[in-house]
Order: sequence, then C-alpha cells, then structure tokens
Amino acid sequence: MGKYIAKRILLAFMTAFIILSLTFILCKLLPFEKPVGQEAERVAYYDKQYHLGYLFRFEEETDKYGEALYKTSGSKGVTYYYYQVPVLEQYGRWLGNIITKWDWGYSKTIQPNVSAGKIIKSKIGYSIRLNIFSTLFAVPMGILLGIWAALKKNTMTDHIISTIVTVFISIPGFVLISFFLKIFCYNLGWLPSTWPSDMAPLAQKIKGYILPICCLSFGSICGYTRYVRGELCEVMESDYLLLARTKGLTRRQAIIRHAMKNAMVPLFPSILADVIFIFGGSMILEQLYVIPGIGKLFVSALTAKDYDILFVDMAIFTTFGLLAGVVLDLSYGFIDPRIRMGAKK
Amino acid sequence: MSEFDNTQVQFKDDDFVLVKRDAMISDRKLETKPTTFFKDALRRFAKNKSSVIGGIILGILVALSVIVPLVIKDDIDNVKSSERFLEPKLFEAGTGFWDGTRKRTHTVYDQENEVPAISEKYSIASIKQSLISIKVDEEPSLIDTANVYGHGGYIVIATDTQVAGNDIYMQSKPVAFTSKGNYKIDIVFSDEENFNGGKLGEYRVYLKVGESDDDIVMIRDFGKDYSNISFDISKALEEAGRDSVEARVVFDVKASASEIRYVLVKSISLIANENVNNAELLAAISFTDATEMINNGDKESDGYWACTGRKGIHNSEIKYCDYVIDTYMLVYGDSDPVTYSASEVKTWIENGWCQYDYTVGPESFVRLTNDCPIDVVDSQKLLSRTKKLESITGRGWNYRKLGYDKMPVHLMGTDASGIDLLKRAFAGLRTSLIMGIIVAAVTFAFGLVWGSISGYFGGNVDIMMERFTEILGGVPSIVVLTLCILHLGNNFGTFVIALCMTGWISTAHTTRTQFYRFKGREYVLASRTLGASDWRLIFKHILPNSMGTIITGSVFMITGVIYSEASLAYLNLGLQGTHSFGVMMSNNQPYLGVYPYMVIFPAVIMALMMVSFNLFGNGLRDAFNPSLKGSE
Repeated sequence: MGKYIAKRILLAFMTAFIILSLTFILCKLLPFEKPVGQEAERVAYYDKQYHLGYLFRFEEETDKYGEALYKTSGSKGVTYYYYQVPVLEQYGRWLGNIITKWDWGYSKTIQPNVSAGKIIKSKIGYSIRLNIFSTLFAVPMGILLGIWAALKKNTMTDHIISTIVTVFISIPGFVLISFFLKIFCYNLGWLPSTWPSDMAPLAQKIKGYILPICCLSFGSICGYTRYVRGELCEVMESDYLLLARTKGLTRRQAIIRHAMKNAMVPLFPSILADVIFIFGGSMILEQLYVIPGIGKLFVSALTAKDYDILFVDMAIFTTFGLLAGVVLDLSYGFIDPRIRMGAKK
Repeated sequence: MSEFDNTQVQFKDDDFVLVKRDAMISDRKLETKPTTFFKDALRRFAKNKSSVIGGIILGILVALSVIVPLVIKDDIDNVKSSERFLEPKLFEAGTGFWDGTRKRTHTVYDQENEVPAISEKYSIASIKQSLISIKVDEEPSLIDTANVYGHGGYIVIATDTQVAGNDIYMQSKPVAFTSKGNYKIDIVFSDEENFNGGKLGEYRVYLKVGESDDDIVMIRDFGKDYSNISFDISKALEEAGRDSVEARVVFDVKASASEIRYVLVKSISLIANENVNNAELLAAISFTDATEMINNGDKESDGYWACTGRKGIHNSEIKYCDYVIDTYMLVYGDSDPVTYSASEVKTWIENGWCQYDYTVGPESFVRLTNDCPIDVVDSQKLLSRTKKLESITGRGWNYRKLGYDKMPVHLMGTDASGIDLLKRAFAGLRTSLIMGIIVAAVTFAFGLVWGSISGYFGGNVDIMMERFTEILGGVPSIVVLTLCILHLGNNFGTFVIALCMTGWISTAHTTRTQFYRFKGREYVLASRTLGASDWRLIFKHILPNSMGTIITGSVFMITGVIYSEASLAYLNLGLQGTHSFGVMMSNNQPYLGVYPYMVIFPAVIMALMMVSFNLFGNGLRDAFNPSLKGSE
C-alpha cells in the first residue's frame, strides 16, 4: 500500500508538471498581449521580460523574429527593439527560472511589475481562511445531521432532512447566493452585499464571512449528511450490531461504540480530499461576492491575459486538485477493502 | 392451553385427503411473466414517487423550453430600450400580486403635480395615469439642500472660516427707489440656534445707495436682533432728503476668525404702491419661499441675491411618498398629445382609417383600422374665418407605436434590454439542454469505452490511461474553454467541443471504478474459469451490472453541462451568438437589488431544473442498481 501511495503522489506531481507545461505552451502560442498602462511601467515590464528570457532585445530592427513588439529609447540614447522568443525556448527558460530561482515571473496588468509570488501571497490568505472556516462549519453540521437522520430513519425528521439535502445539493452555489443576497442583504439588511474591505470594523468583517461560508458549506453539509446517513443506516442493519445489542449493550452504547466508529472510517479520507480540493477557493463565489482570493485572481488573470499570474494560480489549483484525487482514490480502499485500486485483471 | 386440554379432539381417517393423489407430479411452467432488465428497472422507477415527480417536472420544463420560444412571438434578438424593466405580469394591474406593478417607498413627492417625483424619462402625464396608489408622508422631512420639490425653509447667509475676518455680504440687484413710491421692505428672520456647528452672528441690513461704503441708508444696524423688520424705505429717503436713488438691499454678516457665523432669513418682501414701474423686479427680489427662491431666482447669472459668502438653504420642507405604479401603463400607455393638421386627418379618412366630423367635435372620432395613429381626440382647432378644421390634438396608445396590436403582457417581465424574460429563459434553457444532451451522448460513448478498457485491464494499461485522463482532467475546464474560445471562436460548437474534451473523463472514471468493483467478483471469476473471452466478460457480465451507475452519471452529465455553461457566464466566458441561460443570469445579477424579479425568476427555474434532474437521476440510479432488485 505504501509503495502504491508513494507512486501515486509522485505521479500526481508529474501530472501537474505536464499540465502546467501544456498550458504554458498553449497560452504562449496565442498572440502576445501587450501591456497597457504608464510608459514607465511598460518599459519596466519589457525590461523584466527580457531579463527573464521571454523576449529578445536588439539595438536595431531585425525581421528574424517577426514584428517588433515594442520600441523604446534606453537610458544611454540607444533604441531597443523587443522581440518574442520562440515558444519552446521560452518554456525552457521559464522552467529554468522556476527551478533555479523559484521565480514565477511578474504581473503584466493586474498589478504591473509586482512579482507573481507576492500577489499570490497577498490573495491566498482570504481563500484559505474562508475554506477552513466553511469546512469547520460543514463537517460537524453534516455529520450531526446525518446521524440524526439515520437514527430517525423513515420518520418525518428523516424525510425532511433528506428533502432539504436533495434540494440544497442540487441548487448551484451561484443561484443560492442570489437568494441569500436578496433575503439577507437587500430585504433584511443584516449582512453586507459584498465582501467588506480590510479597513472595515471587525463586526462588519465577521458579518462578511457569513454568506460565503453558508454558500460554500451548504453543498458539503448536504454531501456529508447524505453520506453519513447512508453509511450509518447500512451499519445499523449489520449482523455485528445485532450481536452487540444481543449481548446486552444499550442502543446508545451500540451506536456510539460500534456503529459510529465503523461508519466514520470511510468519511475521513473524503473530508481530507474535500479540504484539499476547496483550498483553491471557489471562483464563482469569489467573483460574485467580490472576495479578493485566488479564485477571483484566476478569473481576472484569465480575462486580462496576465499569463505569469495565471500559471502560478493554476499550479496551486492543479497541485491541490491532484492531491485531492489521490486521497480520494485511496479512500476507496478504505470504504471497501475488496476494491484494490491499480490491481491487474 | 386450558381450553385445549378440556376438549377432546378426535381425527378419523376420512379427515385426511391426499392433495395430489392422482395428479402428475412434474415441473410446471412459471406463471409470472418474464421481464427484461430495463422493464424491471422501469417498473421499479415508477414506484419511486419523488423521482416520478422529478421526472414530470423535468418533462414539463423540457416541453416548455420547446413550446415557449415557439408560442411567444416577442423578438428576443434586438434591444428594445423603451420596454426595459417591465415587472412580471399575470393578473390585471391593481390586484396586488404578479400584476406588473412596482412598489417604491420613500420617494420624493412632487406636491405641485401630486405625483411621485421619479426622475426617469416619463412625463408627468404618463406617471399620473399609471399611478395605482400613492401614500404621502404626513410629516414633511426637513433637509438642508435646495431640492426642486422642496418648499419653505430659510436662506442661510454664512461666513467662511477660510477667509476669516472679512465680513460677508448678500446683496440684491439694484432697484430704483423713490420717496414718492411708498416703498416698504419686510424681512422675517429666524433665531434658530442650531446649524452645522456655527453660531448666529451679528449683522446689519442697509440700502447701499452709491459706490462708496458710506453712502448708505441704514435699515438695521449691527446687532443680534432677529425680530422681524418692517421698514418704510420711502419715508427714510424723504427724511434723508433724497428723491430717488438706485440702491441694493445689503445684508452684512460680521465674520469670526474661528467659527462660522450665520443669519437665517425666512422671507423678504419689497412692496410699493400700485403705480411704480419696477413692480416686476420687486417681486423677483422678494420671496416668501426660500427654497423656491434658490431654485428659481438663482438661475440668473449672478442671482437676484448675490452673496460673497456661502448662501444655502436650511430646513427646506420636502415630502416623501410610497407609491405603486403600473409599469406597463408607463411604457405602453397613452402617449403625450400630438397635434395633426387637417390634411393629415383628411388622408386618414380617405384611407378609411377613421371617421371624424369636425362639425360635431372630438366625440365623433371613430377608429377603424390599426393604421390610425391616434385612439382619442382631445381637442380640435377651427380656422377663425372659414370655420373649417385647422388641426386636431389626439393621443394614441404607445404600444401601437412600438408595433403591437394590443397591450403586451410579459409573464416574467423584461430585462435591461427590454427582452421578454420568459422567452429568453426558455430559449436559453433549450440551448443548454441541447448542448447537455449532445455532450452527454458523446462523453457517454467515449467515456464508456475508455473506462471499460482502463478498468478491466488494470495494471500498466490503467496507469497509462489514468495519467492521460488525469492530465486532461487536471487542466481546469475554464482554461480548456478559454483556449478553445481563443483558438476557435466563441460559439455553440466550441462549447460542445470544450465540454466534451473534459466531460468524458467523469464517465470514464465512473466506468473504471465500476469495473474495479465488479471484476473481482465470484461470478466474473466463474465465467472466466469457464473460458469466457474478455469481450464477453466486459459486455455480458460487468457492464450490465455497472450500467445503472453509468447511465445515472450521464443524466447528471446534462445537469453538469447546464451548470458549467451558467457558471462560465458568471466568469465572463458566456456563450455568445445564441441564447444562453447562464449569460442571461449573469447579466441580470447586478439588478438583484433594484429589480429582484430579474434574478429570482431565472434562479427559480434553474433551481427547479437542477432539483428535478437530481430526483430523476437518483430514481434512475436506484432503479438500475441490480443489487437493490427485490429489496422493496
């Protein structure tokens, strides 16, 4: 098993590397997007790109590398012409920069000439905080509701919980947030309708968390509830639980000592996978509620074609996503030991 | 037991009869009808009530998405800016629910015209006729700015701490006063000591006769006396020995270096006896309503009252109201009256569009065909000499101008471009569904083959194939779509290709997991031992057992596509060139606060769609799951 896990994790990183390389090449194949903004910023941008190795700089015009992207007079009265380096060569230098200097490049339009790492660092906190809070809220809620539903199986309580779960699991987050915004922000005025700024007072900031946490966690709560209910119902009907009751344990003892333990085992890997997966933040939610996290950054980078930022952001998403996949895949083995992932026919 | 003990039960041989004494003992044909896997699944699906209901709702939505765009004739491709933001309407206006009316609270009230002062393009006439109810606040609110709809209040003459130490002056336009004209001035002050942190200041009022500062006729000298002034100018002139002067009325407020000092003036009235020739100017300079004076009088270049300090308004009264307005009447109701010449009317009559007899008057107007531009004649004008018709003034329904035969009704209202939301929503839904079905079909076919091979053979084949799907699936779908759009252009086909490219992975994944689940089972092993080929094992033994999950997966694929299409629109990557549900939803999102119906209606459809799809899919999954067979 240990060997299999190690192999999977190693492969996950390999996959991440290939994905990023492919995206890099595909994005760079698109026409070069010139930065817009102040002249000084543009000069600085081209200079940085030149030093990173993505552009050629010549003192006279040449037609070897297509049309000149930019022309500027240097400090010593020399005119520089900038040309795009062939894509594969750029790819090599990009890898070189990351491996040797951990240099992921600079932003073009979002925050001109700020290093990509710095931008990510300033944004990732919001996403992580939001997701940790929503997981902390979702997991206990989901498990409790699931246990409740399972214990009251086929009663009114169970039916109500199941109906709510079906409804909330189906409704997309962006629809849900519309309803929430309408009711709690516009009609009742209890919560802010967008993410409060960093300057806002603490109470306002806390209020700002409520809506996104609800929207993020409702889906997971429903997922956990459904899962726990199903698992617990199955365990409750098993022979060993009957045996436990027969040998004289009370219902409570039997459920807590025997049923719950077994029902929870397969849940933990999926929680872990969930946590890793949502680390990247929810793009739509961040976009709709104007949360300055990396999800929103990804969308802005994509819209503004700020590739350097895009690649870092994507590296984070991909790595977390793949790790979550590995954990999830391994968790199948826990759920049903008869399934051996990777086994031959 | 005791009863039994007391009774003697006796059996004789005759009491026993052999059941099958003479019958042939052999196997009998089964009396139950044979059934297929799918028939059985269907039967079990029908037993699951919530899934059936889900299926029915889903069916209705699908049917609507086909029917609605055909039935509603509205044009949904072009922007109709005059018809935007119409509320949903099902019942007659005034019924209070779903009636195309809009409620507004706390709106400035136009006391003069007795309508809410909505500063939109609408004329007062159209507001009046579309007004369903109005409730005016009884207590007026007091504000410190000059609102067009405000009344009363005081003029504030305030000093400025910025130019500390200098007195400030408010002076009127020059007026010719004579000692014979019986000129009088009445000024009303207020002593309200509570204004933006300043204090009432010392002031004086005088008539400035000449250019020099000494050439004045004092009305009230420096002091803090805020009682009313009633001053006879002519008398003062006579006492000063002047016959006629041209003078300005000047308020001089003493400044303080540290604080704002101010004086509040409620009204000024300059009057003279009847036969002076500058009565108009006097009336313009006089005011009883300070807000009105600021609004009207100060439109002049230097104003009737020019001020070197800050001139403002205090405690202007403004009324607010709550009202309900019929948005349809506002847009489609009567147009403003238009005057038509006699020759135009003559043409209409000749063409047979209408009947009109000017000798009878406006009531004789009869509209005959839809070509006639007016519905009602308000008045007519006759030539003074010949007493023949010169022109008529009439009004027509506005919807005729917009090209409708009768008042349109929008069940879901219209959006920011004036497009009928119902039709747009269902046209968008249709696009989404078609896209979903195509993508589901393609991904189902491809994913099934891929997943079967990967899952069945396992080992290195599986690892290789898994890496490939992982790489493809690892590229965020938003990036795949963006790259596709950038390389292929934004259209329906691109979306299908992009969604297929990533979509089949989930089908393949489900199939693969199912194969892992079943391929080690005893029955497969038994079959393999009997020499079954791979082909037979896959299609006869493993696949039928996993079919339920895979089919359910494909049903959920359709919801997935609808979801993806909508969420991409929220990320500014919406489908272009055809009607898209997601684009509509994300376009309407900013209006959630003001026109909530624009977001809520599509959101309800979306939610209904997703919930019923899920119920339906869950039912399918249970029905197709062989292990649940006979469990109910």
